[in-house]
Amino acid sequence: MIQTIRLDHVLREAVRTPYADLVTRPTGAAVRDRIRQALAEPSCRGACLDFSAVGLVDFSCADEVVAKLLLDLPPEDAPYLLLAGLSESHREAIDHVLEWHSLAVAAFLAAGGRPAVLGRVDPDARAAFERIADAGQGTSDEVAAGLGWPTERAAAALRTLALLRLVQAAGATYCLLLPPA
Amino acid sequence: MTRVVEVPAFFDDRAFDGFAAGFGAWPPTERILVDARPATWASPYGLTGLLTAGQALVEAGCEKPLLTVPASDDVSRYWARTGFFRYAAEVFELHGKVPRIKPDDPSDVLLGVTPIRGAEDVHDVVGRIQEGASRILHGELGIEAKATMGFAMALSESCQNIVEHAGTGGWVAVHAYTFRKRLGGRRAAVIAVSDAGIGFRRSLEATQMKRFGERWGDPAALEAALVHHTSRFRDPGRGQGLAGIKRYLARWQGKISIRSGTARLAIVPAWDEDVPLASGLPFFPGAQVQITIPAQQEPTG
Repeated sequence: MIQTIRLDHVLREAVRTPYADLVTRPTGAAVRDRIRQALAEPSCRGACLDFSAVGLVDFSCADEVVAKLLLDLPPEDAPYLLLAGLSESHREAIDHVLEWHSLAVAAFLAAGGRPAVLGRVDPDARAAFERIADAGQGTSDEVAAGLGWPTERAAAALRTLALLRLVQAAGATYCLLLPPA
Repeated sequence: MTRVVEVPAFFDDRAFDGFAAGFGAWPPTERILVDARPATWASPYGLTGLLTAGQALVEAGCEKPLLTVPASDDVSRYWARTGFFRYAAEVFELHGKVPRIKPDDPSDVLLGVTPIRGAEDVHDVVGRIQEGASRILHGELGIEAKATMGFAMALSESCQNIVEHAGTGGWVAVHAYTFRKRLGGRRAAVIAVSDAGIGFRRSLEATQMKRFGERWGDPAALEAALVHHTSRFRDPGRGQGLAGIKRYLARWQGKISIRSGTARLAIVPAWDEDVPLASGLPFFPGAQVQITIPAQQEPTG
């Protein structure tokens, strides 16, 4: 099960502040610890971090909450991680810190539109993600046909996405992960 | 013996080195009297720098310094409204008529003088600034509304430098004002953050001195932080704050300058004539950061 974690709630529990801003490293570390506890539940296959009621996210806090959470995930059978409800400024801060660490995560913006990969992935993987994001799912053959690539190239890009846990592989089909309804 | 350090009449970042020179060798052996009577105007950089001087003297074990308030009632009232005297009384023995008015942040003050001692203070200033920042940046400086968040982010990251690196507290203030000589008379929002802590050289010495070799000193330490984004922490995620601030400033033709010890390093935009690196300056304790976001110019033609 992918569970939604509302970061404004976690922030309020983790630090006693009336503000809804994710700023400073100590705050980020406290929030990350709470998310880790949720991810450690045996029934949890992943988490959707919901930023929709969060004000500002600064670089330091983005690094503590998102980048370090991804860095700490186990190499085998790691839970999936999605971001949702991101404003343009959230996106900018998180993209910056993930680029810094060469990490990537799938994100849904508050303004809607196609989900995006934030951070660093190679151009083929990014193009394949966009294809899967448009269709919801697809096989190597379908992605290759859509992008005008040889099947092997699409297969390699999709394997990269699955390894980075940006899409979910189910047999020969690769599926977009969606925030819980 | 008392040593008199005069506050420049027009006290901004450009006049700061003259002020710093007044203290002589650090820490001073004589009691210090900071004479603010001639002051007719002070930028947030000047106000936070004054408090830093007082704090540094007290923390160095010197006798509590004296401060004479500005001779002009208008000036001292303005300083009182920004909250300056509330904190000045903690680090100076005040002499002269201190206006008994509550700090109320005049309209050009986005954030009055505010102490930064811990992460909760950063939360507080970021929470308080957002509404005013939007009014000034978007309403007066013609910067897109969405840039307000970037401004608050720059404020947050620069304040965190105190919490993470200074080893003591510091001060922040944010004003908007018209630049008379620079910027062709345009307005600008200015963030000033100053601390009386260990400074960049001592903060980075353990991890960077070997790398820079004979070149090591205040200028090299500032280069390591502002240009190479290094940090005293070995955590690979560190150093992103200044990198993020620079990215934001590049988009809005902003300027950052950091003074620490005897050097100042700046990322200088086209509108300014400052030198990127000034070394051999009079010593001043801690670190002083100034971030300037100018009003955007209407496209011509």
